[in-house]
Amino acid sequence: MVDGRGGLRAPWRGLIGAFTALGDGGLAERARRLDRAFEEEGVASVLPGASLRAWRCDPVPLPLTAAEFAVLEAGLAQRARLLEAFLADLYGPRALLAESLLPPALAFANPGFLRIAPLPGQGTLHLYAADLVRGPDGAWRVLADRAAAPAGLGQARENRRLLGRVLPEAFRPVQVRPLRPFFDLWQEALRALAPSGTANPSVAVLTPGTASPLWFEHMYLARELSCALVEGGDLTVGGGAVFLKSLRGLQRIDVLLRRMDGRMIDPLELEAGSLIGTPGLMDAARAGSVRITNDPGSGAAEAPALAAFLPALALRLLGETLALASVPTLWLGEARARALVAAEPQAWLLRPATDGAAPAQALAAVPQPERAALLARAAAEPWAWAATRALPPSTVPCVTVEGLQPRPVVLRLFLVRAEGRWQAMPGGLARVLDPAQALAGGLPTAGQAKDVWVLAEDRGDIVGPAAAPATRLVIRRPSGDLPSRAADNLFWLGRMVERLERAARLGRAVLARLSRGTFVLPREGVELGVLLRCLVEAGVVSAEHATVSMLGEALLGAAQEGGVLPGLFAEVARLTDSVRDRLTGDMYATFTQALRTARAEAASARRSLDELAHALVAVLRFSTAVAGVAAENMVRGGGWIFLELGRRLERAHAVAAEIGFALDLPPPRMEAGLRLVLELCDSAITYRARYFDVVQPAPVLDLVLADQGNPRGFAFQCAAMHALLDELAGESGTREAMAGAVAGLLAQAEALVGRVAAAPDEAAAAAAAAPELTAIAGSVADLSDRITRRYFALLPLVRTVGLSTEPTVQRGAA
Amino acid sequence: MKYRLRHTTEYAYATPVDLASHLLHLSPRALSWQVVAEARITAMPQPSRTVRAHDHFGNEATWLFLDQPHERFTVALDAVVEVEAPPPPEDAATPTWEEVARLAAIGGAKAADAEFVFASPLVTAEPAARAYAASCFTPGRPVLAALRELTRRIRNGFAFRPGVTDVSTPVASVLSRREGVCQDFTHLMIAAMRGFGLPARYVSGYLRTRPLPGQPRRRGADQSHAWVGAWLGPEHGWIGLDPTNDLVVADEHVVLAWGRDYGDISPIRGVLLGGGQHSVRVGVDLDAI
Repeated sequence: MVDGRGGLRAPWRGLIGAFTALGDGGLAERARRLDRAFEEEGVASVLPGASLRAWRCDPVPLPLTAAEFAVLEAGLAQRARLLEAFLADLYGPRALLAESLLPPALAFANPGFLRIAPLPGQGTLHLYAADLVRGPDGAWRVLADRAAAPAGLGQARENRRLLGRVLPEAFRPVQVRPLRPFFDLWQEALRALAPSGTANPSVAVLTPGTASPLWFEHMYLARELSCALVEGGDLTVGGGAVFLKSLRGLQRIDVLLRRMDGRMIDPLELEAGSLIGTPGLMDAARAGSVRITNDPGSGAAEAPALAAFLPALALRLLGETLALASVPTLWLGEARARALVAAEPQAWLLRPATDGAAPAQALAAVPQPERAALLARAAAEPWAWAATRALPPSTVPCVTVEGLQPRPVVLRLFLVRAEGRWQAMPGGLARVLDPAQALAGGLPTAGQAKDVWVLAEDRGDIVGPAAAPATRLVIRRPSGDLPSRAADNLFWLGRMVERLERAARLGRAVLARLSRGTFVLPREGVELGVLLRCLVEAGVVSAEHATVSMLGEALLGAAQEGGVLPGLFAEVARLTDSVRDRLTGDMYATFTQALRTARAEAASARRSLDELAHALVAVLRFSTAVAGVAAENMVRGGGWIFLELGRRLERAHAVAAEIGFALDLPPPRMEAGLRLVLELCDSAITYRARYFDVVQPAPVLDLVLADQGNPRGFAFQCAAMHALLDELAGESGTREAMAGAVAGLLAQAEALVGRVAAAPDEAAAAAAAAPELTAIAGSVADLSDRITRRYFALLPLVRTVGLSTEPTVQRGAA
Repeated sequence: MKYRLRHTTEYAYATPVDLASHLLHLSPRALSWQVVAEARITAMPQPSRTVRAHDHFGNEATWLFLDQPHERFTVALDAVVEVEAPPPPEDAATPTWEEVARLAAIGGAKAADAEFVFASPLVTAEPAARAYAASCFTPGRPVLAALRELTRRIRNGFAFRPGVTDVSTPVASVLSRREGVCQDFTHLMIAAMRGFGLPARYVSGYLRTRPLPGQPRRRGADQSHAWVGAWLGPEHGWIGLDPTNDLVVADEHVVLAWGRDYGDISPIRGVLLGGGQHSVRVGVDLDAI
């Protein structure tokens, strides 16, 4: 922040007041609030290698003046043009190789260079980013070019959004250029990439999936760019075109914003072992029916040693001098370069020549035996190595435990080619380096990030661009646009939440009886026997080990690591993350916070049943929160339908099974079973209001099986499923058949109640109905299979032939 | 020499395959010394989409997409090819191996050949392969003399034994077992040559099924064959060397395609959805006409 003469750099002059006014304590408090906001909204992990909560945002931004930014933008735009010309030559005439302007190693030993049949527009770039450091002389230099699928745009936008919320006063004294117009521009530019003649192109973000450390960023980008988020398995290629498998059927995709390694996108032509790719994708790209951007082979431009050749390439390819220099870089394939490094080894960092993702290593920082080994490797294959100058990066103030401290930073700026020219996002992502590591060359994958402020020259700068001309949208209220995978995940999320709730309700019923002391009443013994069967059926306790006397320990075990509850928590968390792009921020926060509380409570319930009871209450609160959020916040479209369908189906199954167990008792014990049914169906109060304290089979069964107004009863679930299936789009045949099956189940339950009511001995008739209820529960499970087959992408085994690779992996949920 | 060529591959699947995509490198490559009079690929069941294009190495590749459930898949190549490779130069007329390595390292106008100097997915840098070949590469020796000796050493030092290796068997393991098939010997020789900085490529094709009168029956006939393409410098260009049979390629070999290693030009590569276990039957006939 200080220039070479000890004065404040220009951009800090207007800013510093706002931060000094807060004082160290105020600033630390804002830093804590930012941390909390990041944790709650969970977008904290967006760079490679980052795990959840690995990134924090520093409240003090990195400011750039309008003039400084304009110079950087022009310099980076030139580099983007240069790299694009380089790629066009590499995938085309290879004149640079023929003219010896590029050593063969940088092309042919380059992991980013793809050997595929030529594609239209091969090597074109659409998005480009660069990592920059500012040296002691105040000049920015490029540390790395990012041309494959540069990450960090989502994080940059999230930093800005949360900083604006937590520290609004800092934005007042200066004019900061907003980021939103850049995303609008990007969105338009992506649509413009669609093959010509596409009237309303559909764009999708192609992600490796939830296992990717960048999943949140992908989800965030898909939302910001108003497009679908797809995995390779969601796509299918037919007739040389790419389609998204959705509930409505196959939907054409025109543009794919690639967020996965270009080598992994098509197992037919590229990495044969890739299970995240889509076979035939390259064929579709070659046919010109889909545009993949950035081009799958664009990673070749990230080779670190390329920096040594860029000045000459700029002259040859653009006829221009390189405006924005790289950090001094040498390719060790040249004897002159090796001599320079040998003369001054402590001044250089060694790195693989063609692998942009591998970290640089400071020779001085490598301990002796490893240093000799590294040097020997570099001597054996010098062409595989590059050296970059170790530059001490300039520092900026950061909030630390010791107050504001100077810390070195690396700046990442992003450019998009829109309307025929490269335009930079007026902002960026600054990453704070560990001062001890600043010279070691590795870029941080976790730690502190900073918002980057581009200060506006005058108010005119912050006016957004004129609204882009868009075709008038047709009003749509579809339920069929949901990708099959998302529907699948929501359906199972609904089922798993309900399963969790059922486990908690059953567990609570057991604990209520056990906590009354060691002496168990005969009636309670009967009830515990039924509950045990329910718990075994629900999979909470295992059939072999469970006896009534061991129920307490069995339940405690279910809550422990490796038990059923943690397994269900993990599954619910996974499914929640996988459908996160379908949930609003508030919904996601509610889901995850309530789940986190329940998980923590369950994990701490080690010894006493009392602690376990607390944990089960937290579980019930979680499931109630999900239900409430879904009811109040989710649009009644495809997503909500499947979440709800899963939940209703799981509950219908549980109610039928549990009533079956409760009725499966000798007639003298029937009353205990019926009371338990009322308790489990949360219907005791309603029953008492209708029938006072007289418990008889027919009225109880009517309330829990046939009364469509009882939300815990069987009939209610059936009526709800019927209505949900009715709302689904799709061909009518199978849907009507399923709705018919649901109506049949409801009629069967009503007939059963009628039969018990008409029987001379109600208790005997009720006991006799137990097997039928078990059968009904089985029919509900069959219905789940039918829904799965009809609506979800059942992905069979994927295998490759002709090459020896890991051939098979089961994909898809269900 | 003119040949009629027939190569059939039949896959049988335990359960139906719902969707299949195949990438074939199964068309004889047109060369100055190899005239492809006719070549036809037929597939059963009929693919819903067929695409032909040249791959990165200039080989003709064919994409087949099948979108109807099927339990069998048959691909057949029928071709008539005339081959007459030019005779190899005298050993002494070729540059030293050091000179060839130097030219390859510089690249330049002949840069396309430099691609084959570098390690590839199935032929990674293997010091043991270089050590195995070291006695062939004495200082100042003409490159072809060294390569002929290496070809002969592999032929004589390794047992031809199908079924003990597969396409991904590492070169080091072939070296220690001293046995394998044409793929293994080819990968071994490529690894050794690249270890000395010499461009080497993997050539896939066929060997005549019945030997010429008075010649022994060749190893690796009646199936897909593979041998080494070796670069002798800009003047002499590429030559074919068959380490399985200790032959310089002349008129007994038909070329399909070349690449860095088997993975670049697998004759039939596919991704299947469904299918369960599968079995393959392959038949090759290359008969002189």
